[in-house]
Amino acid sequence: MVDGIDAIEERYQRRLKRYVTAMRNEKPDMVPIRPFVAEFTAVYAGYTIQEVTHDYHKALDAVLKCAQDFDWDAVVANMVYVWTGLVQAINLRYYGVPGVDVPANVPFQYLEPPEDNAWMRPNEYDALIEDPTGFLVNVWLPRVSRDVVAEGQPNTFRNNMSFVLGGMAMMDYFGALGGQVPRLRSQCGTVSAIAGILKAPFDILADKLRGYRGLCMDMYRQPDKVLKACEALTPHLYHVALSGADPDKNVPIGLWMHRGCVPFLSPQQFERFYWPSLKEIIEALWAKGHQVLFYAEGEWNPNLKYIAQLPDLSIVYHVDRGDIFEVHREVGHKFCISGGIPNDLLAFGRPEDVREYCKKVLDGVAKDGGYILDAGAIMQNDTKVENLRALTEAARKFGVY
Amino acid sequence: MEGSEMVNEAVKTEPVQPAKRPPGTCFPWEEKVGDLPPIQGDSELMRRVWQDIDALGYMYIWQVLLSF
Repeated sequence: MVDGIDAIEERYQRRLKRYVTAMRNEKPDMVPIRPFVAEFTAVYAGYTIQEVTHDYHKALDAVLKCAQDFDWDAVVANMVYVWTGLVQAINLRYYGVPGVDVPANVPFQYLEPPEDNAWMRPNEYDALIEDPTGFLVNVWLPRVSRDVVAEGQPNTFRNNMSFVLGGMAMMDYFGALGGQVPRLRSQCGTVSAIAGILKAPFDILADKLRGYRGLCMDMYRQPDKVLKACEALTPHLYHVALSGADPDKNVPIGLWMHRGCVPFLSPQQFERFYWPSLKEIIEALWAKGHQVLFYAEGEWNPNLKYIAQLPDLSIVYHVDRGDIFEVHREVGHKFCISGGIPNDLLAFGRPEDVREYCKKVLDGVAKDGGYILDAGAIMQNDTKVENLRALTEAARKFGVY
Repeated sequence: MEGSEMVNEAVKTEPVQPAKRPPGTCFPWEEKVGDLPPIQGDSELMRRVWQDIDALGYMYIWQVLLSF
């Protein structure tokens, strides 16, 4: 039987209340489920990885199918977060594209630049600091794109078209992504889990400019430049985050962190280089009433004492490989916690093992509310359908208050 | 993919001009208005629409950096 419009909207409102209540570190009617399902959606909906990565219509449909079939409170509109159609439009160099650079059933890959040939050279910090936007357009983009030519070089048809294609493609994609939010609501009664994007200034330097190895050398050879570059990026990253944030201030801004965890940085390096600028942005967003989904990918527990400095409720702390029970002890009184179900368990375990682990987490972390059930990291094509079903059932069986 | 293919080494870049571009801005209105003849009509309208369009260009480059 197909649910009527009123029933779907009622389900949406119930789920939204449940999700938001938990994120405010309070106790809802039951533990919300917000799985970060990425390439899992392709497996479930019968698509190849190439299809959901390159044809965003199929990606959005696959998310919708999952949301219709599973009793989940919130999902990300499209967690296969790089649409490679746009990568192709700009002809970006730093991706391995499914079906082109890697097999069609392998998720896209991010390619680190060579240490001696990074997208930003070690002697270019001053240019970045002086004018970040100008540097990105004039220096960075011509290096990361095979088609964009740098200032002073002979113009080309490919150069001109890259901006037309890239701009039109981005408008097209973001328009469709925006349309996915009401689709999830009206067809499934499911909440779109996040709005907007934030990255740490240090991660931008590591991921897209200097590369991780280059930035590691810079922390020793020119630490003040690294710090000034983080400071220069800060107001821009804040601006972009705020621009995409939920105007109703219900759902958080997604913060995807990469190089701040152990062992990429020591806690001392974290404190000096990674944390000050990111903390400033999170505090400024919270001052405007926006929570941040603090996606702590990897092992972050050695940094908990710094994270505890943030204002109460300013983040939803997502646990990947850290000990979730320690996280709960240390910061559970300040922030809602999510995640903590190991991805390897979901990939290689049995449903009964998943149910047991979920119960352990729910018993240990969720008793007083302020917890959202999810895997530790995004779920790709190795997550078994029966295991995600077991996770969902466990939440509804053991997660009712 | 070979390392030599990763970057456009043949390209020589001009020094970045020391223009101050605040967040949300590629071409500040104060710079853009200098390109125009004296505005006879509603200058506030011209400024507002320019800044809205300019913000799209800003969003393009920063979203490529952040989201792609």
